[in-house]
Amino acid sequence: MRLYVALLLAALLALAGVLLGWWWAPFVTGLVFSAQERRARIAVPAGAAIGLCSWLIPLAVAHERYGLGATAQSLAAVMGFGHQGAIPVVLTLLVGTLLGLAGAWLASAVRGVVPATR
Amino acid sequence: MTLEPAVEAPAPKQEARARPSAARPGRVAWRRRRGRPLLNLASALIVTAAVLYAAFLPAGPLPALGPAFNPTTGAWTMAADAQVTDRMLRLAGLQQPVRVVLESNGTAHVAAQTDHDLFLATGYVHARFRLFQMDLMRRQGEGRLAEVFGKKAVDTDRFELQLGLLRTAQLEWSQQPAGDPSREALVAYAQGVNDRIAEAESTHQLDAMFTLVGYQPKQWTPIDTLVIKGDMTQTLSFDDTPIVVALINGSLGADLASAWFPVLPPNHQSPYDPGPYPKAATAPIETMRAITDAEAQSAEAFYQSLESLPSGLLKTEGASNNWAVAPSKSVSGGALLAGDPHLDLTLPSIWFQLTQDSPDFHVAGVSIPGTPGVLIGHNQHIAWSLTDAMNQQTFFYLEKQDAAHPNQYFWNGAWQAYKKVEYDIPVAGGATQHMTVKLSVHGPVIADRGLTTSVWWGGNLPSQDLGVLLRVSQATDWKEFRDALRDWHSPTHNFVYSDDRGNIGLISAGYFPQIAKGQPSLPMQGTGESDVTGTIPFDAIPQSYDPPSGFLWSANQWQVTPDYPYYLGTANFYDPGYRANEIHRVLSAPGKLSAADMMALQTDTRDFLASEIVPVLLLALSTEQLSPTESAARDLLAGWDYRMETNSAAASVWWTFWQSYLAETFDPWWKSRSVKVKRADVNAMLGQDLESWTLTDPVNQAFSAPGVGSRSAAEAQRAAFHKAVSTLKKSLGSNARSWTWGRIHTRELTNLALVSDLSYGPRAERGDGNTPLAAGGTNSTAGPSWRMVVDWGAGSFQGIYPGGQSENPASAWYTNLVDTWWEGRLAPMLSADQAASAKAATRWSLEP
Repeated sequence: MRLYVALLLAALLALAGVLLGWWWAPFVTGLVFSAQERRARIAVPAGAAIGLCSWLIPLAVAHERYGLGATAQSLAAVMGFGHQGAIPVVLTLLVGTLLGLAGAWLASAVRGVVPATR
Repeated sequence: MTLEPAVEAPAPKQEARARPSAARPGRVAWRRRRGRPLLNLASALIVTAAVLYAAFLPAGPLPALGPAFNPTTGAWTMAADAQVTDRMLRLAGLQQPVRVVLESNGTAHVAAQTDHDLFLATGYVHARFRLFQMDLMRRQGEGRLAEVFGKKAVDTDRFELQLGLLRTAQLEWSQQPAGDPSREALVAYAQGVNDRIAEAESTHQLDAMFTLVGYQPKQWTPIDTLVIKGDMTQTLSFDDTPIVVALINGSLGADLASAWFPVLPPNHQSPYDPGPYPKAATAPIETMRAITDAEAQSAEAFYQSLESLPSGLLKTEGASNNWAVAPSKSVSGGALLAGDPHLDLTLPSIWFQLTQDSPDFHVAGVSIPGTPGVLIGHNQHIAWSLTDAMNQQTFFYLEKQDAAHPNQYFWNGAWQAYKKVEYDIPVAGGATQHMTVKLSVHGPVIADRGLTTSVWWGGNLPSQDLGVLLRVSQATDWKEFRDALRDWHSPTHNFVYSDDRGNIGLISAGYFPQIAKGQPSLPMQGTGESDVTGTIPFDAIPQSYDPPSGFLWSANQWQVTPDYPYYLGTANFYDPGYRANEIHRVLSAPGKLSAADMMALQTDTRDFLASEIVPVLLLALSTEQLSPTESAARDLLAGWDYRMETNSAAASVWWTFWQSYLAETFDPWWKSRSVKVKRADVNAMLGQDLESWTLTDPVNQAFSAPGVGSRSAAEAQRAAFHKAVSTLKKSLGSNARSWTWGRIHTRELTNLALVSDLSYGPRAERGDGNTPLAAGGTNSTAGPSWRMVVDWGAGSFQGIYPGGQSENPASAWYTNLVDTWWEGRLAPMLSADQAASAKAATRWSLEP
């Protein structure tokens, strides 16, 4: 239960950070969450999930309010992907996910080394 | 990616898995156990570094992914930005509440209780919809593109800093008297832009392009506005013609160069001001001299450097139309006015449509984002539009230097020290570059390879042109309109005028530089004797008011007859005049004209040159043995109405023939004399020559180029026709009737940031470079950037431009006006009150 509460808390913190414009919040949240969670097989996927949720939810809300189809196509065009609007969506979610995952993995990996060197 | 079990808490399974290796004796097992966490850490560090690098820093075509794609503050906010809803907002600096109404098509109506608030709100509205465009334009003029776009923009920045738009703008601003209305307008406008920047930054609503390119806009200043006015002046009047003519002179010799690039146009033109003219004691233009090898080499180096710059920095062929019709020729009984300035067609457009209402201003029309006033439009009493006057405003000087006098030039009998201005050019992703600009009395030194060349350019004269525009928009009659234009400097424009009392007028206002002596179509000696001594007196510049003919027109043609006593430029500075001739033909026809006729003339596709040449060609072909395909092509021409419609196969035959005829006549000269200028760069002038020779001098020696042998115009036409048909057959098939113009001729509206997928087109398009509906080239990227028709008798005001009010590609107002424009229709220009009561209008209340 504590794990789920911690996970929810971390996701909310990451989301709040992203809403404030701190796009790196999932990385920091993943880092902190993983530092507290000893099991890498839980901490690292959880970090990724935190990252994904914290970027997905605002995007979904924006889509609901404004519709993101034209924006996605425009972004794809700017990036040189023609009118393939799915690409910036995937790329955006990937960035959020990777930020959370990288933070969690890094903390987890450091934890693995620190006890071994004692 | 693998996750290392070693970092987890011990679990029975893992222990079981670990036991065999733990049981192994020695260092290998120890290393494996010890190595796994380190390997995991190394992997994590590498992945983290890669993720953070991509998130924080741009890589190749990708922006820094973190800030760019942050769903709440990144580029996705363009979706929210695209929504325009009723709102109330507070703006710093406002004195009274301001009402802004946005029509369903995006046209803005600003109604303020003070003039100050009018310009402040205009700045806010411009920035709300066009901030990135405005920032690009000021960066271009101020030599600051490399700061955000990196090394590839350094040459452009260097060129602009040499030329000096920023220096001129700074000087203009320093000369603005305190309390001057235009100064107040510039300050208020800058405040409005900065209000929007502050709002956009605080709400994360900056245009997505800022996020994607990765920078924040700096505060707007009045100097930025003056620089943007300078950008337009540069596009319309900075000209490398003397350099081009010098190169041609060096290759073809002075005799051919002066014959093919004469002072007066060789063809028939239709001047709007036929005189009589005041007498003037001006020095005649000298006969073209032969240039030296050193001059030719210097010109070539400079020409090559200009060729490498992006298009749009130099004046190219002009193309704009405007005309006015008096009540005596008008169906409605009131004066008519039509205008369509031709510029590069971009998305977003150079124009932003709005009305401005305040105690002293009641004006509707189009403005340039970044500037506070309406450039083309109407108020309650007058309407006006403009075309480029095309006169020579750029003069090149070869500065005399001597090794014994370093950093000096000889002028007026003495050695003078160059002034120097130092600039730093910040470069994104690279080291800041430094440059020194040398200034002679003529202007900036812009070429130092070989001979030192400086440039005198009208756009570098400090002016109060923005103040002139504000006074023009307040004028209530011809006298006030004309008086306001006394102070207009550059670019020289043909301002057409009509009013609610039935008067019409046309005046080519601006600076017409006169030199003491010399040959201004070539670089001149900088020692003083060929300096610019002044301009044509205002009362003597080309102008006409309420002419007996009942109409006035300009389309970049020669404005006056050969009797005109002042120097305007040489023929190759001007348009060949085919659009003007066609407009004159239509307006001078018997009968009365309506606003609908004005619209039809704006989209007229009749090629005047074709109407002159095709009959001559058909005569030349009458004795020629033709293949079946060639016969079919000839028959198409014989039954053609000279209209360049997309479904016309004859139009393709004509256009391909004319290109072939130019090549047949001039390419042998270009090849045999190794002319360094691209022939296409001077096709407009060569076309006038060819037209003139074809009609009046069919045995001109130009047809008998070296290696071709003696031949006449008719023989050259026949050869060109065979080649044209062969070309069309090869590219479009053997059925001549299927060679429709729309298959080889398109138009494209280019995205300003050069994102091709955000451009419009290419789409099959009618017209060509000679038709009032200007669409030069095979894929035209320039043309009628705004069309306006005013009928004072019917009280109707209509206008349209290709594009939309918003620069946001996700907005419904990005391209919403294109289809109407493409079909040749116009939209009503509503007043603020009409707009406020219109359905689907959006209302903003701006509060202090």
